[in-house]
Amino acid sequence: MINTDKNEKLIKKALSVKGTSLLSDAFKRLIKNKASLSGLVILSIITLLSIFGPYFLKFDFYETDWNSIYLPPDFESGHYFGTDGNGRDLLVRILYGGRLSLTIGIIATLVSVLIGVTYGTISGFFGGKLDITMMRIVEILYAMPYLIFVIILMVIFGRNIYLLFLAIGAVEWLTMARIVRGQTISIKEKEFIEASRSLGQSSSFIILKHIIPNLAGTIIVYITLMVPSVIILESFLSFLGLGVQEPLTSWGVLISEGSRDMETAWWLLIFPGLFMVLTLASLNFIGDGLRDALDPKDY
Amino acid sequence: MDTILDVKNLIVKFDTTQGEITAVNNVSFNINKGECIGIAGESGSGKTQTFFSITGILSDNGKAAGEVNFNNLNLLELSEAELSKIRGKDIGFIFQDPMTSLTPHMKIGDQLTEVSIFHDKKSKSESIKKAKEVLDKVRLPRINNLITKYQHELSGGMRQRIMIGISLMCNPKLIIADEPTTALDVTTQKDILKIFSDLQKENITIALITHDIGVLAEVSDNIIVMNEGSIVEKGKTNKVLVEPKHDYTKHLLSCVPEWLK
Amino acid sequence: MIQLLFKRLTIAIPTLIIIIAFVFFLMRLAPGGPFTNERALPPEIEQKINQAYDLDKPIIHQFGIYLSKTLKGDLGPSYKYKDFTVNELIASGFPVSITLGLSAIILSLFLGCLLGIIAAIKKNTAIDYAVMGVSLVGICVPSFVLAPILSLIFGLYFGLLPISGWGNGNIYNLILPVVSLSLPQIAIISRMMRASTIETLNSDFIKTARSKGLPKNRIIRKHVIRASILPVIDYLAPATAGLMTGSIIIEQIFGLPGIGRYFVVGALQRDYTLVSGVMILYASLLMFLILISDILRALLDPRVKIND
Repeated sequence: MINTDKNEKLIKKALSVKGTSLLSDAFKRLIKNKASLSGLVILSIITLLSIFGPYFLKFDFYETDWNSIYLPPDFESGHYFGTDGNGRDLLVRILYGGRLSLTIGIIATLVSVLIGVTYGTISGFFGGKLDITMMRIVEILYAMPYLIFVIILMVIFGRNIYLLFLAIGAVEWLTMARIVRGQTISIKEKEFIEASRSLGQSSSFIILKHIIPNLAGTIIVYITLMVPSVIILESFLSFLGLGVQEPLTSWGVLISEGSRDMETAWWLLIFPGLFMVLTLASLNFIGDGLRDALDPKDY
Repeated sequence: MDTILDVKNLIVKFDTTQGEITAVNNVSFNINKGECIGIAGESGSGKTQTFFSITGILSDNGKAAGEVNFNNLNLLELSEAELSKIRGKDIGFIFQDPMTSLTPHMKIGDQLTEVSIFHDKKSKSESIKKAKEVLDKVRLPRINNLITKYQHELSGGMRQRIMIGISLMCNPKLIIADEPTTALDVTTQKDILKIFSDLQKENITIALITHDIGVLAEVSDNIIVMNEGSIVEKGKTNKVLVEPKHDYTKHLLSCVPEWLK
Repeated sequence: MIQLLFKRLTIAIPTLIIIIAFVFFLMRLAPGGPFTNERALPPEIEQKINQAYDLDKPIIHQFGIYLSKTLKGDLGPSYKYKDFTVNELIASGFPVSITLGLSAIILSLFLGCLLGIIAAIKKNTAIDYAVMGVSLVGICVPSFVLAPILSLIFGLYFGLLPISGWGNGNIYNLILPVVSLSLPQIAIISRMMRASTIETLNSDFIKTARSKGLPKNRIIRKHVIRASILPVIDYLAPATAGLMTGSIIIEQIFGLPGIGRYFVVGALQRDYTLVSGVMILYASLLMFLILISDILRALLDPRVKIND
């Protein structure tokens, strides 16, 4: 009953359609999503400003000027966002703070992704008793007020910026590990893993070549959602006086100083707050957009 | 013969991200009182959406136009509140997958009784009595025990019987069964079809939507064949199956194993 | 039920011991002790102090003493607030912190679930967008930004609410702290609830409920909510952890005399006993919450047997 002629035509037609990879397809859909696109644009602007902006400003982030304390935003003096209680230019401090906050966000996220993905794939892939034990450990760690551990760590080992990366990364991996484990379990049931196994490929080969590439989408989505939570975490620590130290600055430090001075100088709270909120919102929009874009079944 | 459901020029459309899709394209047919009518067609032929639209349970992005006469009312013109008085009371529904069709956190008994408590304003105890009655009708054993159970404690076949029981709670005039046997194993299928023919004896009209010609051959009086949103053939079951007129019907029949014919 | 309690206890006690050990050794690993900041003391006095606090004994021995006391409920004397025991300090801050925390949990759960359900039912309408907009604000504006801004607006400009102090638990003093503490959680819970409600609304059993002709509000009440609320129940413990850490900052911003303050002071000044006392309290509360969410889950989801 199979109509061979018709089938051949269909096959030809199918071959003439140009294939698109999942990622480029996802990127196209991401760009179509207005919220994600504006998030992408705003985030790029903030990032570029943080990297290159300070070179175009006439002030340095540590430069104090006792003649211009608590200046409100003013275009003539060149203090576009005003100055703080030490007469330092707020804009340049925000941009420097942005460098630090974004760097911490990215590095600490990478640390946690590294730990989380390794842990999650191993637990999910090998299953059995190993999986139960590993997940029980995660469960116990979940029950700990982990942020409080970070506070203790920071107190004990001094306010070292590298430690900050590590400490934040080390507490944020739990969620990643759980998600990756769940995904790994569903992927390893798929036929192509079976096929790979029947070809005699080793477990580590299968994890690296088949499981992790298939996790890429999920991981990317959670990276965009984790960076904001890391930025908040850093700000939180800085707010308590446990984050980066003077004269270095981050958005959290600026916000915490700003909230102390808000009655006399509102700009010290509003501008750093705005930068941070815009960044967090952009990342959230991108993350949501990516999640939709990488999940074609929703389409 | 009396007509119970009369559908004229029914059109169902869905708004999707890829534009408007017409699922049912200008379909007209009627169902006689007491018959078992089979609606055949592949998945995507619009057979399910035809019947979902009749009782207003399309998904949110769907809309229906045309005329659907039932009980001297045009169902498509009724408000949601008026329609919901007919759904579950005069028209019962049975769905494809019994494993997911029952609410997981409610006891079986409550899922049955809520129908007659709402529609017939019966008391709780009257409703329980009625529930036991219908469960007996669908040949479920140990009924007293059953109504205190949750769906996950039951097998697929039992759950599908409970779905039939739910549809029977208010003595409906019409039961729409959407692929009721597809997810079940062969022996359970037989049992369910047996229940349908029992119901037919009680003068309940049944619309049986399925892609399984074998099932239709067994229980239906008349057949409607749908393809790509339109009716391609309708008539007496024996006639349609023995001498199909339309190419598509022939094609469908060719998919049935030889021995069944 | 008893088995569930037992299972949780078998996890809880080792966890607590691990936490106690972790904090104990970590704080002692650090250079400098609680008394090193003060002016140099004559050696014999220092020795006396160390003796009084058991600091002269081998560290394992110290840990043994501390652990056995702790398990009996005695958290020891505070190093910094010299006239008080840790138990007394915690007891003085606890009512404030628990009032703040409980109000925030209740508000977050109630508003979060309500908004999430409404947004899901009104999906893709102005109401949905408004709720999701508010929730986005809650996610993107950390509580330490929100709290000063709220007190700037409602406290300083309009003079409607007090911006600091406890006022003996006066409801007006509670509003700003509770709102700033809850908003991030409300945001997360409402998003979660919206997503799970949408999923439930698309499930087959809701199609069945609709085909029964039940009125919409009955479907939502009886069929939808119990199925959609499960992820929120699972989120209860993480939410509590979030509120705990949040409360440390909120208590500082609003000058509330709660436990958070003792924790920060204790950590900064290496008050070993105070810090580990607060840690133990936080961890026990969290584990209690996990137990509660387990019980709730078992009550709501018949597939989970309570004595499993």
